[in-house]
Amino acid sequence: MKVLLVEDDRRQLMPLQTVLCQAGHTVDGVSDGETAQWLLSERDYDLLILDWMLPHVSGVQLCEHYRASGKTAPVLMITAKDTTLDKVTGLDAGADDYIVKPIDIVEFMARVRALGRRSPICQGDSLSLHNLYLHLDMLTVERQGKVSPLSSREFQLLEYFMRHPQQVLTRDQIEQAVWEWGSEIESNAITVLVRKLRKRLQVVGAAAWVETIYGMGYRLSPPDKTDI
Amino acid sequence: MFNRSRRNLACWFTLSMGSILVLFAVTTYYLRAEDKLEATDRLLYRKTRLMAASVEYELSEGKPQVDLERVPVLGSGTLPLGTELAYVRWYSSRAQLKRFFGEPPSQPLEISSGFRTVRSSDRSSEPLSDNTARNNAEKVWLRQLTLPVQEGNELIGYLQVATPLSDIRADLRQFQLALTLTMLVTLVLIGLTGWYLGGVAMQPIKQTYNQLQRFTADASHELRSPLSASLTNAQVALMLAAECPQIQPSLQNIIDSTQSMNVLVNNLLMLARYKGGLTPDLLKPVNLNLLVSESAASYQAQFDAQKIRFIICIPEQSIEVQADSDLLKQAVDNLLSNACKYTEEGETVWLRLGAYANWATVQVVDMGMGISKKDLIHIFDRFYRTDTGRVRGGDGFGLGLSIVEQVVEAHGGRVWATSVEHKGSTFQIELPIRSRLQS
Repeated sequence: MKVLLVEDDRRQLMPLQTVLCQAGHTVDGVSDGETAQWLLSERDYDLLILDWMLPHVSGVQLCEHYRASGKTAPVLMITAKDTTLDKVTGLDAGADDYIVKPIDIVEFMARVRALGRRSPICQGDSLSLHNLYLHLDMLTVERQGKVSPLSSREFQLLEYFMRHPQQVLTRDQIEQAVWEWGSEIESNAITVLVRKLRKRLQVVGAAAWVETIYGMGYRLSPPDKTDI
Repeated sequence: MFNRSRRNLACWFTLSMGSILVLFAVTTYYLRAEDKLEATDRLLYRKTRLMAASVEYELSEGKPQVDLERVPVLGSGTLPLGTELAYVRWYSSRAQLKRFFGEPPSQPLEISSGFRTVRSSDRSSEPLSDNTARNNAEKVWLRQLTLPVQEGNELIGYLQVATPLSDIRADLRQFQLALTLTMLVTLVLIGLTGWYLGGVAMQPIKQTYNQLQRFTADASHELRSPLSASLTNAQVALMLAAECPQIQPSLQNIIDSTQSMNVLVNNLLMLARYKGGLTPDLLKPVNLNLLVSESAASYQAQFDAQKIRFIICIPEQSIEVQADSDLLKQAVDNLLSNACKYTEEGETVWLRLGAYANWATVQVVDMGMGISKKDLIHIFDRFYRTDTGRVRGGDGFGLGLSIVEQVVEAHGGRVWATSVEHKGSTFQIELPIRSRLQS
């Protein structure tokens, strides 16, 4: 999933980012509300993790803005405030879940997984498209009993494809979805990554699912039923 | 809490100032009474001297003759003496009544010259006064002077004169009334001043206290962020260190310490937050039967694991109190957790819920090691830990019972403990019942 993580304490931000990346998510980690607000207007995310107390723009304000703009990705609020009133305020601002500091990483990841399951194509802890399964917890792809492991970036690309099947995804969109904000990427990085992913999919016999649309980008389209 | 101190302060102030005032008023009254009496005595003495001077004495036919004709009031050609007299009596030198005016004496003269205050009870006592409005049957206080009259060296008789004290008494009564009224008004004023001064005196204490509370709350809050960072980092490090088993115990220790620190911070926050009563909008009707059985259920496994017999007595009739259920549950949990900690294998712990006319009680009784007398008075103090507590409950901070006490008091109830060393302890929470429903 594409995750925006906003937390002003870098010592807190770092381990959360690490653990989310380990779990195969693309994480944009920022430490102030203004940058977060700008990113939200520029890019799309599958999950927002916001600290309540942020310099300049608070997490609650961010959440309210985000919801006001009509976007529906789940929001997980992190805060040191634990009274019922605080929780109600946070949830009313549009948050879907609420976790009180200190953050227990096991609980945190469980909540992230729970929010990730809200996607309509999600089945438990895996995404599925026809007979292709992407296991979110193990970073593997499975089809007809054959399993292939994926690298973190390959996984992210495939997840992005699977969440947007049949859609032509431009190079810009892919770059935004798979690479963290602010990272410098080589000009042919996307081509290389797509080639790697096709190799992995070949193991499960689905290399042809990733189509190249010349001049535009790529598309994941499952073959017609007769081909299966 | 502040109001109670303020009330006490005002009460003591009123009491001390009031006592001084009463002492002062009583002294003033007596001084005035004494003063009045002295003035009356002086006047009476002057009059009596005057009368005595008018007694004529002569020896005729060898016998002494006393002529009282010229004596004012007693004589026939009386000269009025200006002020009222209750009676005037002349006794012979052998103390026999010879002549009198006004009330006749009820008993023979006791020769005791000087001033006396007597009480005349006579119906016919009509003092020589213009003021006849006085009820005759009423007893009248009189000031009486008996003066021996001498001619040369020979005693010729006694002159006894009395004047009513009614004027002085009326005057003193009025004075008394005035004093009493003034005193009451002053006492009220002192009370109000005491209340005001109490308020002024409480102000800095209140401020300091609130500051302390705020500090605790803020500090606990601010501690959460670094605590969170420590915990998360250690947990992530533990995940990443899957291949280095030698650093895993250290990381696990960091995680455990951080988590126990978090418990402490949460407890401190709780103590800071719910000091001094809950606002009514936080209170909701809570079914104690349910709350207590939930608590019991969550501890059942722990008791089982320690092989402690856990007996739960919850009446069928439902008991409802106005409470914040989370807080109340925490209080009951803390008592059960203590019972768990200080009870040995094979012993018994009871959890009883009871209802009386106005009170609901939650009782946790254990047959554990008990608490020594020395410790018992301190067990509700913050951070107080008995020596056994230090040995056994390694992860505690000595805040559990303080929280119980504070939560229960915030609900308008109270908690107490009794204990016999090596026999066991009883903890009882008492909560006021506002509405009781029969199921």
